[in-house]
Amino acid sequence: MNSLVLLLLIIAGGALLSYFGHRINQLLGNITVFIVALIIPIYWFTQVDFTETVSLTISGFHLEWGYNMYGKLFSMIVMILSPLALIYAIGYMKDQKKLATFYFSFLFSILGMTGILMSRDFVSLFIFWEIMTWSSYLLVIFFGKDVEKTGIKYMVFSALGAYAMLMAIVIINNNTGSMMLADYFTAFGGFSLQTKLLTGILLMFGFALKSAVMPLHVWAPGAYSNTPMAYTSVFSGALSKMGIYGLGFVVVNLFAHANMSIVGDVLAWLGAITAVLATFSAIFQDDAKKLLAYSSIAQLGYIVTGIGIGTELSVMAGLYLAILHAAFKGVLFMAVGAVERQAGSTDMTVVSGLVRKMPFTFFASLIAIIALAGIPPLGGFVAKWMLYESLITNGNFLMVIMIFLSSTAAFLYCYKFLFGLFLGQQEPEFDHVKEASPLMVVPMILLSLFLMVTGAYPGIVLKYIAAGMTNLGFHDVSWQMSVLTNTWGDSVNFQHIFLAVVVVFVAFLIFLTWRGYKHSTKVSTKDISVSGEMIKPEDNMTYSKDFYKPFERVLQPILKWKINKYYDEFGKGLEALFDFMRRIYTGNGQTYAVYVITFLVILLVFSKSIFGY
Amino acid sequence: MVISDPVYFIALPLLTAFLLPLFGKIYKPLIGIIPGLVFAFIAYISFDLYLNLVPGKPIVIQLAGWAPPWGINLVFSEFSGFVVTLITFLAFLVWVYSYNFKKVGFDNSKKYFTLLMLLVAGSIGVVLTGDIFNMFVFLEITAISSYGLTAFYKGRDSAEAAFKFLLIGSLSSTFILLAILLLYKQVGTLNMAEIAVKAQSIDPKMKSIIAILFMIGLGIEAEMFPMNGWVPDAYSQAPGPVAASFAGMLAKSGIYALVRVFYTVLEVDGIFDLLLIMGILTIIFAEFSAMRQTRLRRMLAYSSIGQMGLIMVAFSFNTKAGIFAGLFLMFNHAIIKSLLFLASGFLTYSTKQKKIRDLDGFGKIMPFTSLMFGLGAFAIVGLPPFSGFWGKLNMLVATADSNLYFVIALILLVAVVEVVYYFKVIGRLYFRQQHKEVEVHKPTWNAIAAMSVLAIVIIGVGIYPDLITDYLTKATNELFDKASYIHNVLPNLSLN
Amino acid sequence: MQEFLTYGIYGTAFFLMLLGLYAALVKKNLVKIVIGLSVLDSGLHLLFVAVGYISNGTAPIFSPAVVGKNVVMVDPVPQALVLTAIVIGFGVTAVALALVVRLYRKHNTTNIDEIKNLKW
Repeated sequence: MNSLVLLLLIIAGGALLSYFGHRINQLLGNITVFIVALIIPIYWFTQVDFTETVSLTISGFHLEWGYNMYGKLFSMIVMILSPLALIYAIGYMKDQKKLATFYFSFLFSILGMTGILMSRDFVSLFIFWEIMTWSSYLLVIFFGKDVEKTGIKYMVFSALGAYAMLMAIVIINNNTGSMMLADYFTAFGGFSLQTKLLTGILLMFGFALKSAVMPLHVWAPGAYSNTPMAYTSVFSGALSKMGIYGLGFVVVNLFAHANMSIVGDVLAWLGAITAVLATFSAIFQDDAKKLLAYSSIAQLGYIVTGIGIGTELSVMAGLYLAILHAAFKGVLFMAVGAVERQAGSTDMTVVSGLVRKMPFTFFASLIAIIALAGIPPLGGFVAKWMLYESLITNGNFLMVIMIFLSSTAAFLYCYKFLFGLFLGQQEPEFDHVKEASPLMVVPMILLSLFLMVTGAYPGIVLKYIAAGMTNLGFHDVSWQMSVLTNTWGDSVNFQHIFLAVVVVFVAFLIFLTWRGYKHSTKVSTKDISVSGEMIKPEDNMTYSKDFYKPFERVLQPILKWKINKYYDEFGKGLEALFDFMRRIYTGNGQTYAVYVITFLVILLVFSKSIFGY
Repeated sequence: MVISDPVYFIALPLLTAFLLPLFGKIYKPLIGIIPGLVFAFIAYISFDLYLNLVPGKPIVIQLAGWAPPWGINLVFSEFSGFVVTLITFLAFLVWVYSYNFKKVGFDNSKKYFTLLMLLVAGSIGVVLTGDIFNMFVFLEITAISSYGLTAFYKGRDSAEAAFKFLLIGSLSSTFILLAILLLYKQVGTLNMAEIAVKAQSIDPKMKSIIAILFMIGLGIEAEMFPMNGWVPDAYSQAPGPVAASFAGMLAKSGIYALVRVFYTVLEVDGIFDLLLIMGILTIIFAEFSAMRQTRLRRMLAYSSIGQMGLIMVAFSFNTKAGIFAGLFLMFNHAIIKSLLFLASGFLTYSTKQKKIRDLDGFGKIMPFTSLMFGLGAFAIVGLPPFSGFWGKLNMLVATADSNLYFVIALILLVAVVEVVYYFKVIGRLYFRQQHKEVEVHKPTWNAIAAMSVLAIVIIGVGIYPDLITDYLTKATNELFDKASYIHNVLPNLSLN
Repeated sequence: MQEFLTYGIYGTAFFLMLLGLYAALVKKNLVKIVIGLSVLDSGLHLLFVAVGYISNGTAPIFSPAVVGKNVVMVDPVPQALVLTAIVIGFGVTAVALALVVRLYRKHNTTNIDEIKNLKW
């Protein structure tokens, strides 16, 4: 049997088995999920034949599935991150209700993503895209919080994006007579400017929406923070990358090659603005989930910028960042989930000092944060370096400043995250907290090890990126295992940096530990000295509260401008309009009869112009 | 088979409808059993006839031995056969569902089944007949039985709904009758095939007046804006299975008549543009009104109007792709809306106010019914892998092929609204805490069976749409090829 | 005289139809609306018969009195249709009146403006 079909069948069958397993009892279900989570990646890495294709004709539409290197690159994200998240979920979702639905939707969204990445025609791309969308919707509203607000917002925006794609697809079909991606790419040059822009921008709209680019990002903070964290790691890590996947081929394959880089530039600017604004929003969040959600949007902004610029180096930086983002955001959301499960809250003003209680979680988060903030030696640094370099060689200095501003500001929330949850003093109410179960810790540790290895050997990932970029029209992309060379001829060996930093770090850690044991004094958290102020008992004097108050005051004018408000107003306006429109159904039968007669009279009066006799 | 004769479709339900009280006198349970046997039988023969239909050779039956154009004839072609098969299939499922629907307070099953059989006979008659006045008669049979079924429950506001329906319905019949009269005056015949030949010579002005009258008369049955004020009331007050049969039979026969008249009988320039505009207006007003409904059944009714608008738009392109999409949408609407109405019958049965917000957490207490509703909602908004998706995709492809890009944008924007209100309900069903103790009415086994069959069809066609595309293509060719219809009915006549 | 009769019939038919329509659309009383619909129907039926009538035509029956002679018969088809239409109209009126009775029992009024529990 064809290995691609079998892969899809395995995932779909896994979804059904997990569903029925969990309907019977939790243990059986969990074992099923665990086995499925192991089988999927093992099958993908060992058995799938990437040269195979499937083609079938359904309802007059020709569908074709088959991997190319670019799709394979993104599939690796899905295939590494999702099984880990599934295993993590077994621990995280233990004893929750509706587990059957949870794992069913989880596996179906994996099915959707896998399908998207092997689709060679628009129809199957859209089908899998929609499967991914509805299964993720079920997970967004899984806990039943804010169903009306967050869930509906997510669904409305997803539907807008999907339907924009659908419109592009049928217009493409009308112009080329084919649903194949490849035919579109080849025919694109011959389209009129209008058609080029219409189809390209509609597709971009759909993809950009999933990757939460600026004016279309409003669904993301709520959706990312409301979803069970086990899924959010996939949601933010892999699912949003489907948007990047699409943007990659639209911007690079179509517009950049058709000498319309202006479209890419607009996208890059949007990405940069997204990065800056989302970073600032992230800084002032008190809920760790919200903080990570905004941080995800900001990181996606960088990636979009890289893709939007559309040069070889920038695309490479974008893709590299995309892979890293999957890994570190995967870890961070898992870590927050672990804290949520063990400590019962993710509010950074409440939870603190968990480092002693949850050392492994802290370690994984630390590594992820280092990667996120772009501190050498981990991968984030390399990726950002590549991004800066590509922006500078391209002459986009303003964009460099914006990205630089945002990644500097990112330190603030990185620090706040680590400090808020893990450092600082531990309140007595968290004495009972224990380290999360191994099912949750092991995936985090594995992902952070991946981050460390890629820090020392970026080439492991760059190899696949270079291969994937051949499908975007960049041939012979040069890369080296550990040595990075810039356009000015300087080169740097990451292996050495990595080792040096590790040695220093370990030495420093030993030094700290030693000092910590010798010179620390125990102070209770209630031991606060104030200078003459009266503190009321209800005042939250936690250090993590109002962490960046002065900074917030400075940024007030920017933060005040909330795009969310405009969408809400727009929604309210629409509802009022709908309410007004439905008044024509007055409820009086006679009025309806009058409508009929009025309609008749109108038609008779205008019959000459309607029928043109 | 020998007994496979299209006459049975109409004769058998009509006859049993009137004999049903008599059967009740003999042995009471016969009231429930006899209709089932009849529906099963006509469903069987319609499948038998339809699957064995020779392409291009419709079955033409002359009633009472008078050859057309003098006698009345029935035409079981690829198109009408498709619709008839759909109707008989649904009729059987509706019977299965309502066989022991609401044991308490449902002792009027005699009236119910009599009216239901009349409705089925009428809508099949509309589809099969080849005589325009006969079509009017069957439309009236359908309409009168629908008034009765709408007013079936005594406790609710059903009489009000039925009266509005009746008021608009009798205007509709007046206009259709007037149109038939004018047409007869011009061509001197009532046979649709003969009219089709002779209609070319009618004065265009007169022709357009006839077209307008047909448009309004049949548009009322087909739920066209602005003449669809009766729809939400009737759908929401009628019993659940009746609402399902309205969506599957009444509306289907209305749109069939509309399409048959304007594609085959009366060719008028510009009518399709009008249909396009009215279809779009229908979609917009219906979906926007549905968005703000607080009652489940009313919301479904408005959504049903929206679907009918979509079907009108699809048929208005006057291309093969458009007809194909329209047929696909008809199929989807019949199957999916029936499932939704059947599921909502039990969902709202357990609530007093029939409001959407009373349904919080029903996924827990009525898992099967909620699942069916969720499935139907997924299918109707066009999510893959359910059958609604293929209908919508074909529809949009057809729209793009007619170069009507703004129509695509409009349909899709309105579809977003549709997504919102259906997913609001799903969110309430599954992801909300239940209010308080509610009296739960679990679906009966036969209702479960009926809904499962519909669900299987939805998923089956969704995964493998080629199950029906062949038949749809044949039906498309039949409808598009006016000359062969005329030739098959009246071999001596031909266009020019 | 003949022309006068023709115009008279057509005129009466249209007058009846308009009268019925007026009652159905403007009168608030449910019973009056039903009467209006009935009058509308009657007008239409009259129109049918008028259309089928041919001046000096005899009844369309093949009796020995007419067979073989050159007699003009009126068109039988509209008359047949009218018979059917009358029956249908009767049925509709009966259902309508039954509904009016039920509405009156429920709402204690026959004013259509006050019967709108179902709206929007």
